[in-house]
Amino acid sequence: MKKILILLVLFPFALMHVNAQDFKPSNTQFMVRGYGHTGLNFYNVDGDKTSTFVGAAFSPIFLFKYNNKFIFESELEFELEGNKLNIGLEYADMMYVINNYITVRAGKFLLPFGTFMERLHPSWINRFSNKPLGFGHDGIAPSSDIGLEVRGAFPVGVSTLNYAVYVTNGPRLKTGDDEPDEAGMLLFVNYEDNNLNKAVGGRIGLLPFSNSSFEVGFSVYYAGNVGDTGSEFDGVNALLWAGDLSFVKQITPIRGIIDIKGQYNHSQIGDAVYNDPGDAARATYTFNNQSSAYYAQLGYRPSMSGNKILKNIELVTRYSTLQTPDGSLWEGNESEMSFGINYWLSWRSVIKANYHLKTKAVAGADNVDTQAFYLHWAIGL
Amino acid sequence: MKKLILILAIAISVPGIAIFLSGCEAQRSLAMQKSGAQLWAENCVRCHNIPSPSAYNDVDWETIGLHMRIRANLTAEQQQKIVDFLKSAN
Ligand code: HEC
Repeated sequence: MKKILILLVLFPFALMHVNAQDFKPSNTQFMVRGYGHTGLNFYNVDGDKTSTFVGAAFSPIFLFKYNNKFIFESELEFELEGNKLNIGLEYADMMYVINNYITVRAGKFLLPFGTFMERLHPSWINRFSNKPLGFGHDGIAPSSDIGLEVRGAFPVGVSTLNYAVYVTNGPRLKTGDDEPDEAGMLLFVNYEDNNLNKAVGGRIGLLPFSNSSFEVGFSVYYAGNVGDTGSEFDGVNALLWAGDLSFVKQITPIRGIIDIKGQYNHSQIGDAVYNDPGDAARATYTFNNQSSAYYAQLGYRPSMSGNKILKNIELVTRYSTLQTPDGSLWEGNESEMSFGINYWLSWRSVIKANYHLKTKAVAGADNVDTQAFYLHWAIGL
Repeated sequence: MKKLILILAIAISVPGIAIFLSGCEAQRSLAMQKSGAQLWAENCVRCHNIPSPSAYNDVDWETIGLHMRIRANLTAEQQQKIVDFLKSAN
């Protein structure tokens, strides 16, 4: 009888022990995250007005942490274009922490060419509903690629220095065979490399102050050959570089956070001779294939205000330009001035009201002005 | 071939310099005095708004901490201190 009593008394403790073991946190963890946005776009192109609801866009992200050194990340992109659903793989890469200073990434990853694409483009992070000129589709800067990267960070005195060096398949030159108007542009993502040459690149970033409020970065990206092996474009090279800066700080006298971001991109692609099917008289042509783009953005949020509504409001402005090569069929000189009022519903959910004025210079004609008004809601999940 | 040597040279020398520079122990002490809370406030606001510790549980913070360390190029020490703080304050 006594024994039974003892057993009965001990039984719950035994159970507790089993339970404690059951709930021991595992090193392995799987997280599904993502972001999406939706909204209304209104355009006025030299007097022609249109408006559309946009943004059935959803980007699920999968994070799989195998242990404290090994993590896999991937992002899918679902987007409606026309009435068709486009699915894209934004990135999918493995990351392994070798030691305090070296981490390796392999797979398809966002390239640290400047900071916009790697750090600032998701709709819940980007203060505007569109990208600055020169980024994204038909942009002059690479956003992601397939390859291998080594990166890390280390303190130097009170400063922090970070680096990333990578080798990837590299870009492919658009020869104009498919789209004559785009001859000379670079196509940045190559699932299958078109030649033996790989692109190499890297970024070095310095946060000089101990409070990490300021960072400057410099990036280069070089591909010795962007043409198809054996083609007349074999041997055309491309050298790109970028400079970026960021300053984010809560400043007490102005009772809020100042957020400054900027990036300059430069692209120089080797000389090549292209066919011009649209102009029989000249048949072939060439040009100095040099492009540049930059943006500068300033934001202020009265985060220290006692007013619940005011402290969630953010005022932002951005200027961006894109200059594409004279003599190419995609030559252009565009600039865009943007203003926005954002209302933050939480740290990762925002309503953005943006106004953009884009001016495109057209050789021998009047400028084309596009005014756009976007009202968007973005959320990180 | 020359390219490959160049790539290898860069790949080897950058971490090499990293390790060399990180040897400046004396100067490091200042940065090392920072608390996890301070590092969180200074670093996690640089790209997006700062998430509050209560936004995730301990296990999630471990994963996010590793993800952010790599994406945002934080130092190992910053990651460790920030994650410890987030786990203690959530
Ligand atoms: C250098 C820029 C940068 C800094 C600094 C930064 N983050 Fe992030 N963070 C990002 C980006 C970019 C994403 C989105 C990742 C994606 O969607 O691909 C993100 C996503 C997140 C997410 C969503 C979950 C996830 O892992 O994707 C959390 C939570 C987060 N960050 C927390 C933090 C914390 C905590 C810190 C401070 C230690 C921090 N971030 C510092 C850029 C940054």
